[in-house]
Order: sequence, then structure tokens, then C-alpha cells
Amino acid sequence: MSPLTITTRDADTGPVLEITGDLDHHTAPELRKAVDGVTVDVGQLLVLDLAGLDFCDSSGISALLAARNAAIESGGHIALAAVPANTARILGIVGLDQVFSLHPDAATATGRSSAAS
Amino acid sequence: MMCRTDQSVPEPGEEQDVDATDAVFTALLEDSAEELYEQAPCGYLSTLMDGTIAKINATLLEWLGLERSQVVGRMRFTDLLTVGGKLYHETHFAPLLQMKGEVSGIALDIKTADKQRMPVLVTSKVKTSEEGEPMLIRTTVFDARDRRAYEMELLRGRQAAEEARRQSEADRARLQEALAVLQQSLLPAELPVVPGLEAGSYYHTASPDLLGGDFYDLFPLGGGQWAFFLGDVCGKGPQAAAVTSLARYTLRAAALHDPDPVSVLTTLNTVLHERYASGEGRYCTAIFGVLQPADGRVRLHLASGGHPSALIQRADGSADYLPTPGGLLVGVLPQAPFTAARTDLLPGDTLLLYTDGLTEARTGPERELYGDDALRAFTAAQPPAGPQSLITALSGLLASFGDGLDDDTALLALGVPSLPSIASEDLTT
Amino acid sequence: MLLLAHGFGCDQNMWRLVVPTLAESYRLVLFDYVGSGRANPSAWDERRYSSLDGYARDVLEVVEELDLREVTFVGHSVSAMVGVLAAAKAPERISRLVMVAPSPRYIDDEGYRGGFSAEDIDELLESLESNYLGWSAAMAPVIMGNADRPELGQELTASFCATDPDMARVFARTTFLSDSREDLKTVVVPTLILECRQDVIAPREVGAYVRDTIPGSQLVTLEATGHCPQLSAPQATAAAIVDFVGAAS
Repeated sequence: MSPLTITTRDADTGPVLEITGDLDHHTAPELRKAVDGVTVDVGQLLVLDLAGLDFCDSSGISALLAARNAAIESGGHIALAAVPANTARILGIVGLDQVFSLHPDAATATGRSSAAS
Repeated sequence: MMCRTDQSVPEPGEEQDVDATDAVFTALLEDSAEELYEQAPCGYLSTLMDGTIAKINATLLEWLGLERSQVVGRMRFTDLLTVGGKLYHETHFAPLLQMKGEVSGIALDIKTADKQRMPVLVTSKVKTSEEGEPMLIRTTVFDARDRRAYEMELLRGRQAAEEARRQSEADRARLQEALAVLQQSLLPAELPVVPGLEAGSYYHTASPDLLGGDFYDLFPLGGGQWAFFLGDVCGKGPQAAAVTSLARYTLRAAALHDPDPVSVLTTLNTVLHERYASGEGRYCTAIFGVLQPADGRVRLHLASGGHPSALIQRADGSADYLPTPGGLLVGVLPQAPFTAARTDLLPGDTLLLYTDGLTEARTGPERELYGDDALRAFTAAQPPAGPQSLITALSGLLASFGDGLDDDTALLALGVPSLPSIASEDLTT
Repeated sequence: MLLLAHGFGCDQNMWRLVVPTLAESYRLVLFDYVGSGRANPSAWDERRYSSLDGYARDVLEVVEELDLREVTFVGHSVSAMVGVLAAAKAPERISRLVMVAPSPRYIDDEGYRGGFSAEDIDELLESLESNYLGWSAAMAPVIMGNADRPELGQELTASFCATDPDMARVFARTTFLSDSREDLKTVVVPTLILECRQDVIAPREVGAYVRDTIPGSQLVTLEATGHCPQLSAPQATAAAIVDFVGAAS
């Protein structure tokens, strides 16, 4: 069990949340709160940098989807960066690799997005 | 050793042989051993072995509000105590003193002349003669009013904490009972008997405090067809249980309307997506399927929404997944893709549906993922003896994971019996 | 055969000063009630020991387990009443009673003086609570020590009278709130009552009441003070018991 830490920074493309530790039933509300705390403007990209994510269960996946809903409601998009192999595998099983755009790291996510926009 | 009233008892302080040095200090302090005894900051008391008070100092008399003449030779030590104190003295203090020759730090209350109770700490020691015969009891009495008030606070605190603990344990037991009942209500009490089919199921609860979100069911569609499903709601707790209930009844109702597996999952997707469109989303993975017994085999048609693939244990001892890739977690998108698959179950074949608590369990000292491959190998290693036997083997496997299994896990196995069909073949030949 | 039963407060060590004399003439069996002394605390059952019947069952279990017959039950204080209950249930085993400082009811009642009011008993329960903190220190060697140590070691006298406070509270309540006056009338076996000249717990009028209520019983007043003549006047106590048992047998 490692505690969840969420650091927020702003990239040219929009907010980037760096998520480290365990994202589970107990900590998922913290991600939701962190997402509520950032503003995603129309056309902006919310990047969740999961490079430091140690564990993600189905509650954590629900929280990722809640972040996606929040980004889309405000007219933006969402991308996941540096998804650890085990979480990527689970995203594949539940078909969410079709729903999230996945990037090898945060730099690629923000770079590609700004290049695309 | 009783009642030595006739004996002249040497008293402390009477035969003081004060040496020169002491005399200097005593003179300086304008004090004497006698005065120290009388005016000491604690009570002194000497009694005969039967408790009769032979000597008492001024401090204790002042606390008691009594004259020396009222006490000495007229009262026993227990007469100074409250009734509760007397009882405690007789049942504990006196026997202990008899046994050990001394007792220290016992909390008692003395009665003062103005009918007040004064908490004290009492220490007594038996003085013996050179022959070892007990002669008298020397007792010191310390004012414990402040200390006792503090102890009473501690005791009250302890009692309150114990009461709170009892209350919370009772609450917890009640909650667990309610949760267990609720959890049971999310699953069929027992699986129905399906002609030409065997069925088995198992549910592992990871935590009695948290409702799990796994569910399954098996029910008739009419026309000889049967439907089944097994799924897993994202998250835990009461909200997840509410989704479980909604998913279960939606699937059953949708199946009666149109049993096509993709249609059924699409209906569930629409319901979950709309129901939880605003606010927090709620999602589940599920496999839904239809069984149609025909010609000694069972036609199987199923579809998956983000759920791990079903596994089939064949009568020949092999085990293979029935892949359903690309199906999406139910409830995420308004229009979601679900993947269907078909196969036939022959006599001796068993279809296994499971939630990912099984495959995501951690094993060994490295806590490695148990995984799909291990599950397939385990299943292939079991004799093809039908659903019940496979469920038994798997529940043993789950138990062997110990704390490596930290999620609820549901298992549902459906199989075509091998023996009756062989018998019917014999009959037809 | 004498079965020596301790009362509320301490354990079988209460008898140690009379044991040498009695052992010259009789086989002795000593035991601790559950909740006292070195009895197995896991056998404790608050409901069972909330009535004197629970303690009487302890006595019956001892006599049955050891298959004792022709038993002279010697009960101190509340145990005297426990003996009355046990003798009623197993008359084939318990053939004589010695009641040491007995009282069938401690609380005053109409036409009866037991010596205490209900408030007094509450005060005793409070005294038990007050000494809880001291109890922990006294009990520590027993809790940490080895349970199967030989009898009567130094550690035992150190723990003498040290009882789990929750169990002691139940025993105290059972002892001081019970009313066994009716049970006295059931006694049919030869009975000796030993009282002390000065006893705040069982005053002399209570001794007389017990003698008057048990038909054919015999009352001996010991020249002793306090509630525990077996400790304060062991010779006289043992002599009275020997007189009675010897005479009765």
C-alpha cells in the first residue's frame, strides 16, 4: 500500500495531473477532487500522467472515467500518459484502450496534442 | 495469636535513642521524633492484632475529627472505615495482611466526624516478636483525595471507552449481518435445475465490511432456452451494490424482451449510461449468454462487455478461452461495442465464467499476477468431471491464494453431463 | 474427607493455617472457584456465576469428578451458602456441613438484620473498582508466570486475593445481593456453624439466625475478631471442626 499523491501542473495544452501511488476504493475520491480542482477549457487536453501509479483497481478505473467525463463536459479531451503495463493490460480487457488516448509519456501527450491543435 | 490485650506493647517513638548528631539537627529544626510522629504529613496508627487502636497520631485524629480518648482502646481500625471499606478490609485487606505480613497502597475511605468520606491509601505491616509471633500492626494512612479524584476520572474514562467499544462492536456485528443479507440478495439463493445441464457457483467475499459488486444468475427464457450472466461492478460498497441490483434486473428483463446477447448488453449499457449520466458514472463488466440444448449438445451464444473471456473445459481434458475481445465496459459510452461468440458444449464440456478477482490474484513471495495462462493450465489439469467438481477445485485454489486474493470473486460453471448422454446413446443403439 | 471452599475475596490459600492440623485427621480437598485464585479464567461465564447455583455447580463438578462420598463440606462466608445448595443437590455425596462465618443475607430486611444496606454493597463494589489499579501490579506475576507451577509458591501468596476485577465484581454482587434464607430450611445433614465474637460481615445475630433456621444445627462462637477465623484463630477453628466431624462420624 502506497499513499496516493497527485501533483498538478499546467502545460501549454492544459492541466497535467501526475498521479503516484495506489488508486483504489479508498483513494479514488482524491483523484475526483483533484480533477474538480483544475479547469479544462474548451479544446484543452487533460493529461493524467500515470508513470508513478503503483496500483489501480476497478474503483480507480471509475475515477479515470470520471475524469474523462469532466474533461468532455467542459469541451476538452483527456489522455493517459505512461500507463503502467498492468493497468494498460486491464484497460485492454475492459475495452477502455478504445476510449482513452494513450501516450508513452506526458511530454508526448502534451506535445502531440499541441501539435494537433 | 489473637487478642493480646494483656500484653504491654512497645510503641514506635517511645524509646528513641537520639544520638548527638540527630540532637543537633533536631534542635535546629525545633523538632523531635515525637513531634514528627504526631505532626507527620500522613496518618500513623498502631493496632493490636484484633484491630484495636493502641496509638494514633494527631494528623489522623484531625482528619477524623476525633479526640484521642474516643479512639485509643475504644475503636478498631475498621471502625474508621466506611461500610464498603470495612467489607473490602475483611475480604481482602485483613487476609492479605495475615498471609504476607504487609499490605501496601490499598485504597480505602475513612469516615470523618462531619460524615464526609475521605479517600486514603493505606499501608500496613505486622510487627513480630523475636520469636516471630505477630505483636501489632503498624499502619500509615495517606491523604488520597486528589489522587482518587484523578483515578476516578481514569476509571470513568475506562468505563466510557469500554462502553463505546462494546457499542461499536455491536454496531459492527449488526452492520456485517445486514451487509451479508444484502450481499446474498444480489445473488440467486440457489441455481435453478436446468434439464440437460449441470450448474455450479461460488462466491468469495473479500471483506465483510464492504459489499462486493460481483453478480451472476441463471434463468429460463422459455422454449427450452436458458440465459445466464456474470458480471462485476466497478468499485465497492453500497453504491456498487445498488448498481449490481440494477444490472441484474435489467439483464433479466432485457433477456425476456430480446435474448440476443449483444442486444441485452446494449440495453444494460443504455440503462447504466442514462441512469448515471450526470454525476459519478457507474460501470460494470458482464458476460451474457444463451443456452439452447439440441441434439445431445448445447448451443452457446454469448457476448462480453469488457469482461474477461469465458473458459471452456472440454471433455477431452483440454481447456481454452472463448475469446470476446473489444467489448467495452458497460455504461461508459452511449453507443458501445460488444463482442459476441458462439460455440457448442458437448457432453462432458464445462463453461466457466469468473470475475477478475481470480485472475488478478497475487501469488508467491513475489506476489506475481496469477493470470489467464495459469487459470487455463489449472483448469486443464482438472479431470473433466463437470461444473460442481471444477467449482470445488477452483474454490480450493482461491483459498490457497490467502491474502493474495483481495477482491470479491464470483464463479459460475455450466456443463453438459457426460454420463446421461452416453446412456441415451446406448439406448438409441 | 473434608472439602474446603473459600469465600469471596481470596482463594484456597485462606485455609493454609488450618490445613496442617486438619490433614492429620482427614483427607483434604481444596479448590478455587472459577474466577478466583488459579482456576482457569477461560472457564468463566458471567451468567453462570451471577447466581450462587453457578458456584454450587463448581462444587458438584469437583465431588463428581473426584467421585467423593461422605464429604464434609467446609465453606467460608458465602461458600457456606454454596454448600447448602450443593448438599441439597447431592445429598448422597455431601453428608455434613461446616459453615464458617455464614450469612444467608447481608442486606437488612423486614424482621431480619443482615447488617448492611443496599447502598453499603454499592460502596463495596466501588472499593473493588478503586483498587483496580493496584490489582494490575499484584496480578502481573501470575499472568506472566507459568500456570503449572507447584502449589503454594511465593508467587501464590503474592497473588493471593488478586482476582480479575470484572470477575470479582460479579462474585461480589452474587455474594452480597443473594438471599439464601429459604435454602437454609432445606438442610437435613448435620451442620456446624462457626462464628466469630466480633465480625462486621456476619454479626452474631446472623449466626443465631442460621442456627435457629437449620434444624439440629450446632453453633460455636470462636474467640476471634474479623471475618476469617481460619486465619486469625486457626487452632480454635481446626479444633472445632475436628470436634464436630469426629463426633458426628
